[in-house]
Amino acid sequence: MTQRVTGQRFRQRKLSTKQNLPVLREHEVEKLADDDAARHIPKVETGVEKGEEIEHHLQAVISASQAAASGGNVAQLYIPTPDAVASKLQYEDLYPRHFTQPATYIRFSSTVEDMVGCPYCMTSDDVIFLKSYNQKKGKTVQCSEDEFEEVMNFFEETSQTKQPFAAVDNPPVVSYEELEAEFDETISEPARRFARDIYNHWKNQRLLKGNRPLIPSLKFETNLETDDSDPYVCFRRREVRQVRKTRGRDAQVTEKLKKLRKELEEARYLMAQVKRREMVIRDQLAMDRQIFDQRTAVKEIKRKLGIKGDDEELLINQKPAPKPKPKVDVQAVQRGIPGMGPKPQLTRPDGRLLDSDLVYLEEQQAKRSEAIEGFIEENLMKHQKWNIGWVDQTWRPITPPLEQAAPKAGFRPVFTSSQLPTPPASESSEAAGDQMEADQPTKQVEPRRSARIRYATPPDDVPYQDQRRFRRRTGRGGRVMIDRRGVKRQKLDSIDERVADRFKYSGDSSEDEQVYPVDWTDNLHIRYRIMIDRQGDKQHAQAAAQNRRAIENHNRSASGYLLPPSNAG
Amino acid sequence: MAPRENSHEPGGTPVPVETGFATLATLRIGVKAFVEKDGEKRKAEILSMQTRRGKPTFYVHYEEFNKRLDEWISADRIDLSREVEWPAPEKPEKKKTTTNQKAQAPSKSDQRNQKKSRSKLDREVSATPEATSVNLPGKAPRPTKAGGKENKELLVTSEVTDGSTPKPDDEEMDLVDVQDAAAAAKAAPTEIYSREDEIEKLRTSGSMTQNQTEISRVRNLEKIQMGKFEIEPWYFSPYPIDFVDSEMVFICEYCLSYYGEVTQFERHRTKCTLLHPPGNEIYRDDYVSFFEIDGRRQRTWCRNLCLLSKLFLDHKTLYYDVDPFLFYCMCTRDEHGCHLVGYFSKEKESAEGYNVACILTLPQYQRKGFGKLLIAFSYELSKREGKLGSPEKPLSDLGLLGYRAYWQETIVDLLMEGKVEANIEDLGATTAMTTNDVLHTLQNLNMLRYNKNQHVIVLTDAVIEQRERQKAKEKIKGKRSIDPERLQWKPPIFSAASRTWNW
Repeated sequence: MTQRVTGQRFRQRKLSTKQNLPVLREHEVEKLADDDAARHIPKVETGVEKGEEIEHHLQAVISASQAAASGGNVAQLYIPTPDAVASKLQYEDLYPRHFTQPATYIRFSSTVEDMVGCPYCMTSDDVIFLKSYNQKKGKTVQCSEDEFEEVMNFFEETSQTKQPFAAVDNPPVVSYEELEAEFDETISEPARRFARDIYNHWKNQRLLKGNRPLIPSLKFETNLETDDSDPYVCFRRREVRQVRKTRGRDAQVTEKLKKLRKELEEARYLMAQVKRREMVIRDQLAMDRQIFDQRTAVKEIKRKLGIKGDDEELLINQKPAPKPKPKVDVQAVQRGIPGMGPKPQLTRPDGRLLDSDLVYLEEQQAKRSEAIEGFIEENLMKHQKWNIGWVDQTWRPITPPLEQAAPKAGFRPVFTSSQLPTPPASESSEAAGDQMEADQPTKQVEPRRSARIRYATPPDDVPYQDQRRFRRRTGRGGRVMIDRRGVKRQKLDSIDERVADRFKYSGDSSEDEQVYPVDWTDNLHIRYRIMIDRQGDKQHAQAAAQNRRAIENHNRSASGYLLPPSNAG
Repeated sequence: MAPRENSHEPGGTPVPVETGFATLATLRIGVKAFVEKDGEKRKAEILSMQTRRGKPTFYVHYEEFNKRLDEWISADRIDLSREVEWPAPEKPEKKKTTTNQKAQAPSKSDQRNQKKSRSKLDREVSATPEATSVNLPGKAPRPTKAGGKENKELLVTSEVTDGSTPKPDDEEMDLVDVQDAAAAAKAAPTEIYSREDEIEKLRTSGSMTQNQTEISRVRNLEKIQMGKFEIEPWYFSPYPIDFVDSEMVFICEYCLSYYGEVTQFERHRTKCTLLHPPGNEIYRDDYVSFFEIDGRRQRTWCRNLCLLSKLFLDHKTLYYDVDPFLFYCMCTRDEHGCHLVGYFSKEKESAEGYNVACILTLPQYQRKGFGKLLIAFSYELSKREGKLGSPEKPLSDLGLLGYRAYWQETIVDLLMEGKVEANIEDLGATTAMTTNDVLHTLQNLNMLRYNKNQHVIVLTDAVIEQRERQKAKEKIKGKRSIDPERLQWKPPIFSAASRTWNW
């Protein structure tokens, strides 16, 4: 009793379905108020609809069985159901004793349609018709029931395919001619003899039914609004919404699997190739060894036989690889001349250090000067071409008119290209008024300019010191002299001191420059002179600069001033 | 069925039921009157009325009785000396007109029709325009498309509104037309009703009965003939509408085809060569055989089976096709062939882990222990699959009792093997029963108790005594059980394609 009290003081533990519970007989358990226990066990639903759970007969049976469970002796109750009684039909006739049970379990896959023969079954009306019809006919041509059903079934099926919506739109009954045209293997030859006679009977039956099929059929969905509420519509197709959902997920999975497979295939292919390569290498090694062995053998034989010859060609597989020619980077050098500075090539293209094929400085310099000369020559030609048909009337031109076929060789090479090409005419009388001149660079080449003054103005943005200037003078006795200024000797020239000393006084002394800083070729002075001759137009000067830029795209200053090759310094 | 539940007890809402005395002429559908049933008076609701042989007959549903006991009765069984309950009006102020119209319409037209159509269903529920549909056309709730539920009663809550276009009194309609019209009217209510009326209906309709498809509540077949028996159907089944006129529908015992006329049936029997369910035999003992039939491969046969079983199963829907189910059919054998005794259907793949969808012993074979064999077989399959199984819910009253009996016997036998300890999950695992079902059984038998600070399973004297009595009976009659050794079956595997319903 005390135990019971303490037991109740504590909350009961929850029932665990995983826990082992002792199985006891009733006398082993204390008599308790059982509803205590029930409190802590989740109430399990019966699974019957709530509305039906309260039904009289069910409740009666349940309470009876509960009474039985708790020890009462109650007569078994049944839920009353409508009756099933023995039929008056002759079962033995309808269901003959045909069945013999096979020794093994039955395996069967034929369908109902395979097993029931002709689906049309004669009605009592049909029986009456057939009876009278056969009476009229002679004994020789009696229509059997099977033939009759065959014909009726054919009519039914054919009209169904011809008028699938006969029940809805009430078309006239299909004519016999139409049906006859459809005769096929489903209607046998003997049955066809009666088809025309049976047709009238069939038509009458159809008309009685409102041209609906004679065999009652289930109502399937017609995809109309009425379908849902019509209790007779059954066996609807199930929608595949859920399937589509999984299909989307499946597609993802498939993609992943495909990708995995592809990757695995690739890895496998790689491994196969590696294996092949190794096999080839092994074969090659074997081959080499064989060759070596045989050559040794040959050598031995040669030695034995005393044949003297060059063993080398026998023993070495490969000819010594021809030494790679010291590749002079002509292209790079040439590229460098007009302004694209050759990058310092410390390595050969194959990556090795530049030590074996040394480039000689003399060679390089010769090439360079050759290139420069070629460049000058080229520009000279261009300039002459450009001046064809023009007469230079410049008074004391700063840039003297070029002599025809000036013997270039007579001058020492000038390491500059700044005087070339001759800038285009700065102005023309027609162009002066034409604002569009600058926009029409193509017109520049047309020989309609009539420049009276030709000049080459060193642009403002090049420092004065860097500008090279030349002047030709005709001296006494017809000597032609070129004065130059600002020309620097090429630094690449490795001129020793003695040689340098020789030229010490050949150039204009720097003191001169300092003493007479006014330079008549200075922009200011040139401009001044231009202004004297014409009312200067700044725009023209700019346009000219632009044109110049358009013509050439060499290494230039911002304003288009042609700068010497950058590698010169 | 939920709708009826509401009609039984008008919920918790204290809607005052209008009562009053009625005459035979004022009786109408929806009226609840006292009807004599087996010597006692029971309250019953009139679901349908028609005139047979010149006399009005009423289709009534007895309150707190299963629908299978609904029946056609003659007027003299209705006790008019007691007050009747009038159906809840749609709008109180319009009620008068409703009653008046109703009072006259049926009797008048019925008298005119009495010779023409014997079984004419007078389905006038309310001739007033107020009786409107709750659902707009096309909005009738469909059952879930996803699950393969076969067991659920559809809640297609459409409603009878053929009163919308008042039927001319002198118009004679045959039954088919009436029903077609009713179905059409249900789905597409005419536009006479205003929106307010519809909303009002939605708001006030306390009884779902009015929204229930009335046709399917009335049994449509009078009697069926099958094998050696004539059977009275219990519920509606969507056999062809033409059969409503037939006194008897003949069903072939083997192919389950149905015929409205004995001549046709006899002709069929001369041609039908089927002698057993059209599938593979997977179990055979000296008493019964089981056949496994795939709904997808044997569509016609399975449809026929479903139509037949719907006659005896309330909570079964034939809304969808048979493809996603397997049918396990139990037969007895003799020289005639294999006679279908019962069957259960099973989803090819059940999301909820059900091992049975629908289960039925045909009425002519009931109370002979076949139900227990069917249930035992279904658990045997589950054991073979290595799964726990439970029948699909809701269970019918008979289903519940059948299962409880099986569960009790199985578990008590297991416990009486002399075990000292047992846990609920292990009990489930050995019997292929779900934990919940084991718990349900133990609890129901008052076997779960709390003793000395722990839960115990008590083999009560009553339970033991009951089992002993049963065993004594088995000794006399012979015990029928399923022998797992005789089951030649592997769980079928279905590809994704065969599980879908592509046609």
